[in-house]
Formats: sequence, structure tokens, C-alpha cells
Amino acid sequence: MSAAAKVQNPLFDKNLINAFVDGVAKTLITMAQTKVSVGRPFIENSFKLKGDVAGMVGMVAPPMRGTLVISFPKEAIFSILKNMLGETYTEVSSEVADAVGELTNMFYGSAKTSLNQLGYKFEMAIPSVVRGEFTISKNQGGATLVIPVELENKSQFYIEITVT
Amino acid sequence: MFPANTKFLVIDDFATMRKIIKKTLSELGYTNVEEADDGATGWPLIEAATAKNEPFGFVISDWNMPKMQGIDLLKKCRADAKYRALPFMLVTAESEQKQILEAAKAGVSDYVVKPFNSATLKQKLEKVWAKVSQAPKAA
Repeated sequence: MSAAAKVQNPLFDKNLINAFVDGVAKTLITMAQTKVSVGRPFIENSFKLKGDVAGMVGMVAPPMRGTLVISFPKEAIFSILKNMLGETYTEVSSEVADAVGELTNMFYGSAKTSLNQLGYKFEMAIPSVVRGEFTISKNQGGATLVIPVELENKSQFYIEITVT
Repeated sequence: MFPANTKFLVIDDFATMRKIIKKTLSELGYTNVEEADDGATGWPLIEAATAKNEPFGFVISDWNMPKMQGIDLLKKCRADAKYRALPFMLVTAESEQKQILEAAKAGVSDYVVKPFNSATLKQKLEKVWAKVSQAPKAA
């Protein structure tokens, strides 16, 4: 592991935060011609789902374990999918859920590649998608870093990183 | 470039990505496209198409899938003389050196890294066609 990748509290690790933010921005501009701006990150003591649908990946990068969640309110994901697929959605259907899974896969893959080039050891993972309300139970979750991401139409979605 | 009637097999566990690839292929004039959601369902389609004498002319497969991964399907194809020269492109969300080397060693025709746009996919298809059309024909 390089000096840059020395283990610190992952929630304060700039490499990690930048990799996920860049992965999201790169994916959305390439696949959906959608520009994003990133808001001020904040920490929450426990995970709360912020949207109507979310993609989730278990992150394993020994000794770190955590969860990456991308939470989309309806307005944000509908806007992205309009640009990406040319289709209009009005409800969080199974097609929308599938697209959230694929987007999460690309966000994670892009970040993983950048981070592993810096000496991290992130492993491959297959994302899952959740709709409705859920929580990450206390014995699995620590604090959550929340990074708000804003689209051009002013709707927002959230990158949420919980580590143990 | 590959003839317009080339039969494609697109394999990805996410229907969204299959839709994006199919849309790009359609824009390039390729409409003879079948789909599978992982390697385990893709392999019998490859076998059945060959048995019917309507073989696939190109496989585009995701790497990271449940059941059978894209790299394992590629290895299965290359281990069978019938599919040793079948153009096979892997799609991956990761572009790490060790992965690229593993794919090259397994005999991949080319790979495309997600996220990608239609121009990138077209460029990759052209690159594979250049290789295929220059390869000596089997006796």
C-alpha cells in the first residue's frame, strides 16, 4: 500500500471521497450527458435513507469494511434516466431499480479502479437495490459520510459511505 | 465493419446496460441481437444458435455477474474449438492492469470500460473487425 493509501478514518480520507465523487461525475457525464455539482459533505451518526430508491454495495478493502449507498429521490433519478435512456419515468418501477443498480455498479467500479491505483485493495462487488425505507443496523454501521450531489435541474441525490 | 446481418449476443445482469448496448448497436445498423442475463444463460444460447446453424457473430458480455462471470464464459468459449475465433468483447466497470492481463490471456477480442459512450463502442467494434478480417481463415 502506498503512503497515500495509509489507513486513516475512511470518512476523512480525501482520496476515498474524491474517488467516489469523480466516479459519479464521470459516469453521469459519459452515460447521461449530465453535469453535477457536489455539495458540502456532512457526517450522520446513523444511516438514514434519503431517497425513494438506492443502490448499495458492500465495500471490502481490508482492514476496512463498509457500505456505499447512492440514494436517489424520484426527481433526480427520473432526470438522469431521461438523459441516459431517452425514456420518461413517473414511478420507481423495476426498470428504474435496475438502472440504479447499474449506475451504482459503474460509480463503484470507477472509484475502485482509481483507489486501487493508489494502493488500496478494494474488491469486486455486485450491487443491490432497495426501495422504500430501511436502515443499516447498529452492529454493522458506524457513522455515515453523506455527500450531496446536485443536478442541473437542482434536484439532489446522495453518496453515503458507512464504514465499520 | 461487421456485416449488417451479424448476430450479436449481449450479456449483462442489468437490463439497463443491455438496453444501452442494444440501442447503440441499432444506431450502427445491427438489429439481430439476442440477450442473456449472465454467462450461465448465455452459454446455452451460444450452443443452440450454433446447433441451428445460425451462430452468433459477436458476443458482448459484462465481466462482473452472478452465477457465471463474463471472463468464465470467455474461457469456456476459447476452450471449445467451435468458438475459439468467436469475436468476444468484455464490458467492465474496472480497468485494472491485472484484469486486462487476465482478459488478454483468456483470448478476449477487446474490452470496453464502463462508463462508455456509443462512439467508444463503435470504435471497439471497428478494432475487432480489423483483427477478424485480417485473421487467416480456418481450412
